[in-house]
Amino acid sequence: MAKEPVRVLVSGAAGQIGYALVPMIARGVMLGADQPVILHMLDIPPAAEALNGVKMELVDAAFPLLKGVVATTDVVEACTGVNIAVMVGGFPRKEGMERKDVMSKNVSIYKSQASALEQHAAPNCKVLVVANPANTNALILKEFAPSIPAKNITCLTRLDHNRALGQISEKLNVQVSDVKNVIIWGNHSSTQYPDVNHATVKTPSAEKPVCELVKDDAWLNGEFITTVQQRGAAIIKARKLSSALSAASAACDHIRDWVLGTPEGTWVSMGVYSDGSYNAPAGVIYSFPVTCRNGEWTIVQGLVIDEFSRKKLDLTGAELTKEKELAYSCLS
Amino acid sequence: MAKEPVRVLVTGAAGQIGYALVPMIARGVMLGSDQPIILHMLDIEPATEALNGVKMELVDAAFPLLIDVVATTDAMVACKGVNIAVMVGGFPRKEGMERKDVMSKNVSIYKAQASALEKQAAPDCKVLVVANPANTNALILKEFAPSIPEKNITCLTRLDHNRALGQLSERLKIHVGQVKNVIIWGNHSSTQYPDVNHATVTPTNSEEKPVRSVVADDNWLNTEFITTVQQRGAAIIKARKLSSALSAASAACDHIRDWVLGTPKGTWVSMGVYSDGSYGIQSGIIYSFPVTCDKGQWSIAQGLKIDDFSREKMDATAKELVEEKTLAYSCLN
Repeated sequence: MAKEPVRVLVSGAAGQIGYALVPMIARGVMLGADQPVILHMLDIPPAAEALNGVKMELVDAAFPLLKGVVATTDVVEACTGVNIAVMVGGFPRKEGMERKDVMSKNVSIYKSQASALEQHAAPNCKVLVVANPANTNALILKEFAPSIPAKNITCLTRLDHNRALGQISEKLNVQVSDVKNVIIWGNHSSTQYPDVNHATVKTPSAEKPVCELVKDDAWLNGEFITTVQQRGAAIIKARKLSSALSAASAACDHIRDWVLGTPEGTWVSMGVYSDGSYNAPAGVIYSFPVTCRNGEWTIVQGLVIDEFSRKKLDLTGAELTKEKELAYSCLS
Repeated sequence: MAKEPVRVLVTGAAGQIGYALVPMIARGVMLGSDQPIILHMLDIEPATEALNGVKMELVDAAFPLLIDVVATTDAMVACKGVNIAVMVGGFPRKEGMERKDVMSKNVSIYKAQASALEKQAAPDCKVLVVANPANTNALILKEFAPSIPEKNITCLTRLDHNRALGQLSERLKIHVGQVKNVIIWGNHSSTQYPDVNHATVTPTNSEEKPVRSVVADDNWLNTEFITTVQQRGAAIIKARKLSSALSAASAACDHIRDWVLGTPKGTWVSMGVYSDGSYGIQSGIIYSFPVTCDKGQWSIAQGLKIDDFSREKMDATAKELVEEKTLAYSCLN
């Protein structure tokens, strides 16, 4: 008996990330090869023709799992009945814009999207915010959609998490699937802290700590961190466009693990509403190590945080608190 | 016990179709979710930095199935040991270019790539040409890689095939998975013939029926349906201001997957293949036929009745392919 279709919303669907993401969703990468989907795609009126072009291509691809496509510039229509919402749409920073201007534009967008989601999404809708500033956009969304459980509103740090895995796999010349349990702490920004203190590599004999195999703390505490933090800029430099492929793939991983569960012994990184664990500021969206089961995430507790890490966790936490203040000042 | 990795080459990998295609390959859409992959990506010198950017993103995506990535501007390195080659790279038509100029540039490219593939690819390498003019590029590749079995050289008409299925599904307001056995005959160009005479639809809780009787509008099927499918590429460009990357990449995956893993029972697909004279189509050109696939081999579905209307269209597209072949050969002299 085939499963009932799940409605997945992608906002900003006419853009680069959307174009990479929708075929992944339609092929079952996000929810499994046996889960039919109905795609809701939202973008702004200037993008209406391009959005329709994407819809046409989705029809042209004859995807077996894709049971319907709603392409619209109407946020109410877009949000109606959605079970999963991937918020890719946002106002990009343009040359000459101040941080406050970018924040201000995005705060308005996420305030109104919050309202539409709250009123029209299916109960227990899971939300993933991708558009930057991801953590603060997610926070605004949470604040203005009070009837959506706070635990259902997350932001994407899985891209940074996957980038960290990739860097370790390249350094050690091992398969990326043999590396696990890195952590991305904090903000999806250049203050993020990629932490390998608890990461391991599967070797023929046993699982070994990354630190032990890399044998280069200077690299792990220096270049490794900055490479992961600045990877987005490196991609832009090479491609002249920002990371769409890897961001879309990470969004699928984030949702899939959240909905279908993380493998035994493995955690992932998600930006979630902080409960003050690890002395991170409460009341911001902060990236933590989490395991997922039965559609719920749980912060991995009890990990030892050394002094070096403590400083970095606090730094990114402080930035998130400042962003929250800036966001609220834009609303007043 | 994990399978041995398969080496898949994508040429023109730094471009739009390549960017859509490589994550699909890396997720197992092309060869199955249990088949590890080594990706070979080739592009031209001016695209080196962009190509490296794509490689970086593939690393950043931490794909479990992706064992390695070779990103290069050297065709000999790119072709080494490849089991599957998807030729997306080609010279696009620019404003003011004559048809002969486009043909001339692509003929040179495909002659050179043929040579590299023949020398370096793994035995029994399966080749899919996507870059336009797809059929003739594939023919040139075949002619200049004589040790690659001609049955291993194909071109993409699966995009048109899928588009035809999509148009019927929209017309019938039914899921595309319930429509099958359209045929794309001939050239991947505006002379292609999307034929529904043998296509069927299986409505929910009902038995399989001919598309013609369920649509009940022969006029639409013989006119607007055909021109919509033929001109769909242009419609996408008009809407997106860019050509179809997402759907072309997806169709390339479908083409290879069905070729390698087999078509479902009772279903055929469309592939541009080296004509053996079936259906009165001259041999010596790459022509799209209905095929079934089994054990890594395609076979033309034989014995289908061809009415007069279809005959005319099938011959027209063959005629264009013969003209393209003549033009291509004239460029070589």
